Amino acid sequence: MREALRRRLQSWTRPRQPEPLPVLLRRNRIYVLPTATGLFFGLLLGTMGLGALNFNNNPALLLALLLAGAAQASLIAAHMQLSGVRLLAVSADPVAAGQDLRLKIALDTVDARVRRGLRVAAADAAVHATLDSHGTTVELLLPTQRRGWLALPRLELATVQPLGLARAWSYVWPNQSVLVYPAAEAQAPPLPAPAGGKGKPRPARAGDDVHHLRNYRAGDTPRSVAWKASARRDTLLVREYEQQLSGELVLDWQATHGLPHEQRIRRLARWVDDAEREGRRYGLLLPGQPAIAMGLGALQRHRCLRALALLPGETAHG
Amino acid sequence: MAERTPSPPMQRAARRHVLLATASCLLPLLLQLPPELGWGFGIAAVLVAAASWRRPLHAVFRILLGIGVLLAVVAVAPGIGRDTACALLAGMLALKPSETMTLRDGRSLVGFALFAPFATFLLDQGPLSLVLALAAVLLALLALQCLARDEAQVHEADGPRWWSGSTGVLRLLALGLPLALAAFWLFPRLPSPLWGLPERALAKPGLSDNMTPGGFLDLMNDDSPAARVQFLGAEPRPQDMYWRGPVLWEFDGRSWTQAHWLQPAPAAPMRPAGPGWDYQLDLEPTETRQMIVLDLPTAVPANAHVSIDFSTWSDVPLNNVSRWRMRSAPPAAAEPDLHPMLRDRALRLPRDFNPRTLALGRQWRREAGGDATGVADARIAERALAWITREFAYTLDVPLAGRNEVDDFLFDRKQGYCEHFSSAFVVLMRAAGVPARVVTGFAGGYRNPVGGYWLVLNSDAHAWAEIWLPRRGWVRVDPTAAVAPERVYDTLADRQPGRIGAFDGLVPMFNAGDWLRRGWNDFVLGFNAQRQQDLLKPFGLGKLQGQHLILLFALLAGLALAWMAWLIARGERERDPLLRAWHRLDAHYRRLGRGRAQHEPAQAWADRVAADQPRAGEHLGSLSRRFSDARYAASTEARERLLRDLDRHRP
Repeated sequence: MREALRRRLQSWTRPRQPEPLPVLLRRNRIYVLPTATGLFFGLLLGTMGLGALNFNNNPALLLALLLAGAAQASLIAAHMQLSGVRLLAVSADPVAAGQDLRLKIALDTVDARVRRGLRVAAADAAVHATLDSHGTTVELLLPTQRRGWLALPRLELATVQPLGLARAWSYVWPNQSVLVYPAAEAQAPPLPAPAGGKGKPRPARAGDDVHHLRNYRAGDTPRSVAWKASARRDTLLVREYEQQLSGELVLDWQATHGLPHEQRIRRLARWVDDAEREGRRYGLLLPGQPAIAMGLGALQRHRCLRALALLPGETAHG
Repeated sequence: MAERTPSPPMQRAARRHVLLATASCLLPLLLQLPPELGWGFGIAAVLVAAASWRRPLHAVFRILLGIGVLLAVVAVAPGIGRDTACALLAGMLALKPSETMTLRDGRSLVGFALFAPFATFLLDQGPLSLVLALAAVLLALLALQCLARDEAQVHEADGPRWWSGSTGVLRLLALGLPLALAAFWLFPRLPSPLWGLPERALAKPGLSDNMTPGGFLDLMNDDSPAARVQFLGAEPRPQDMYWRGPVLWEFDGRSWTQAHWLQPAPAAPMRPAGPGWDYQLDLEPTETRQMIVLDLPTAVPANAHVSIDFSTWSDVPLNNVSRWRMRSAPPAAAEPDLHPMLRDRALRLPRDFNPRTLALGRQWRREAGGDATGVADARIAERALAWITREFAYTLDVPLAGRNEVDDFLFDRKQGYCEHFSSAFVVLMRAAGVPARVVTGFAGGYRNPVGGYWLVLNSDAHAWAEIWLPRRGWVRVDPTAAVAPERVYDTLADRQPGRIGAFDGLVPMFNAGDWLRRGWNDFVLGFNAQRQQDLLKPFGLGKLQGQHLILLFALLAGLALAWMAWLIARGERERDPLLRAWHRLDAHYRRLGRGRAQHEPAQAWADRVAADQPRAGEHLGSLSRRFSDARYAASTEARERLLRDLDRHRP
């Protein structure tokens, strides 16, 4: 019932469909309604005004009207808080499904007025921002469930400033999707044998010549951390060994034969991460797609995970 | 129903604001309560706020405090009335901070606190109350703003400091002011209330409808105004300024009371002795229907009437400051033919009181003899006055009355004030067979040089006597004036209001202050349905019906709202006129479905349009180029001309 009502309301409010960014909030899409406090306040003023009129008590009437005037002005001020705000762009770094997506929303204003206490919300997440003429970027955590393109939900920009008596809000519905990578398999077998058959992967171990130190990256083993150096510099540093770990890997779809469809994707995602962590060059072979050439590094990782994320679902694939 | 999320707690700053707002709302109300309640609740409020600063008081403690407030109200001001209700409100507000912790609590406290200034106005409508109430409103709005900031997590660091916060609130008030004023002046007023004002449980000082000698003292120490009078034309001499209030006929041996059954009877015939005085009387509220008039009234407004003993009554209780235009004159003959029943009333005395006075009266009558023309009666009155002048003294220091108060006064004490003099004189006259009655009211007045009007203070309260003489009718006799004329005809410097002892440096301030107060009464308090109509007269809208008034109100309110709406529209206006013109141009094309896409450069757009519509595109191309140059290149293009061309171009 509530849900139906909510949908009905949504179909009345603007925007009714996704729209390109940037979006300037104008008066035709800003809604203002009194808050619960505002309704209480209105009841209060009504009682006061009626009493004052009945007793022809002019100071009391003046007082009630003054308050009512200020409350009315606060409705308009709430509207002005939103009007002229521009939602410039929305972006997010891809994350694995199940993790929270960090949605970056860039806002600015067309005029010089400072907007305080702007609430940006999507689904259940909300964040407050103060906006001046330089603009600002807020980050909203959106939960993700499944890999692939995630259409952005309708974003709500709202404010109860200045008095909390009225709430002005507006929706922005970016016609934009963000990519969600497949979740890596938690318990996975080790990486498959290298494609070139140059022997088993040799784990990187201490004792080798240290070439240089680099910053810690997620996934580095504790043993590779250079603790002394880290303590000196107050940041976690990791020894990088001179010799490249040998063996180029081809992560092949066929190698995961026998697993359910989604499981195969998650295994490959895990292997991509593992290969990345061990610093081994790798390529990816997926059905119905050109092979992804050997490579290593963030770009390669994104390329592979993107391909995995966009693999069609099982039903489509057969 | 969804589970309600608990309201977050108030931050320290917000809590401070809320408490400050509550205190400032409470202050004007406390000033109007009986002092023991006002001080008690004030101190209690401070203690409670301090004790509950960190955590709410224990529930048991709160309930005990609530009961304490209830008991205090009942003890100090028993009865059910407006003032007791206000006292209860004040007490509850004083305790409320003890359980105010969350944002929601803070908001409801501020909301309820706003009732306190409103309640204050039911008790007092003075400028001080209004100034305090305005400050309270400002602080309450500031508190609401602070709470709203808390809710939106605007932190102190990036939030404005309190003074810039208050400019925000002042701006809101200023924005709302046109609407508020339009509603104030034009919102249809009720010609008569829908429901009555609850009475005060505690009597307000003022003339009462009875007099017990020894009872005026409170009033005579009260320097608050009772009325302000503006004479239009001739002003009476100070010794003619007798402001007639209740006329007292009935004497039970101790107290004088009005004859209420006489009230509906129309005014007795009266022949004025002179042209009289035309004046405008602004009466302070007394919550009774009894009015005061100068000497004997000859003309009163339609909503008042003069009864047979020339006391004047309003049709409704005087709950607010009220303005009356009246005429009065000294009488040549007031009620020259006294109805036998009234004559009988004016001679009646209780049997078992004051035997010595009764004996003296009878003795004087025997000595004067009977006389149908009233010469003997006049001689008796003169004899009494001469005796009083010779042997009596004026003092406010009078012991408590015994059983035969008049006997004590006339034969033993021989000193007292106006109540004793008038009461004893009337008893003596009645004993001697001269019809007589007591009149209470005010005598004299203070002329305020600032406004050129007369101020009648409660301390001018006075009581005198009237005797009835054949052919002349009722004649005013003031036995007090025979003893202490300066007490009665006081425009003397030592009774100047605003004076402290021998120091009269504050008098000009008092004069100016009272003049302002009078303007306030005139401008704000006296505004009612009638004055509302008068206000519109200069605009040729003299006879305005209710629905026209509503229309006019709607019109002005609409204008005020439109002004606010214009502010909204302006809020999102593009500041750069060039960009504005450019957007307008885009809007024209958008209507034809050839709008510029958000990402499209001006030139690319122009080319795209030109491809479809070579004729329009040609102009558009040059306009786009000029626009880009003006915006992004150091262009020498005259902006004005470009603006004009942009506005002129139509697809």
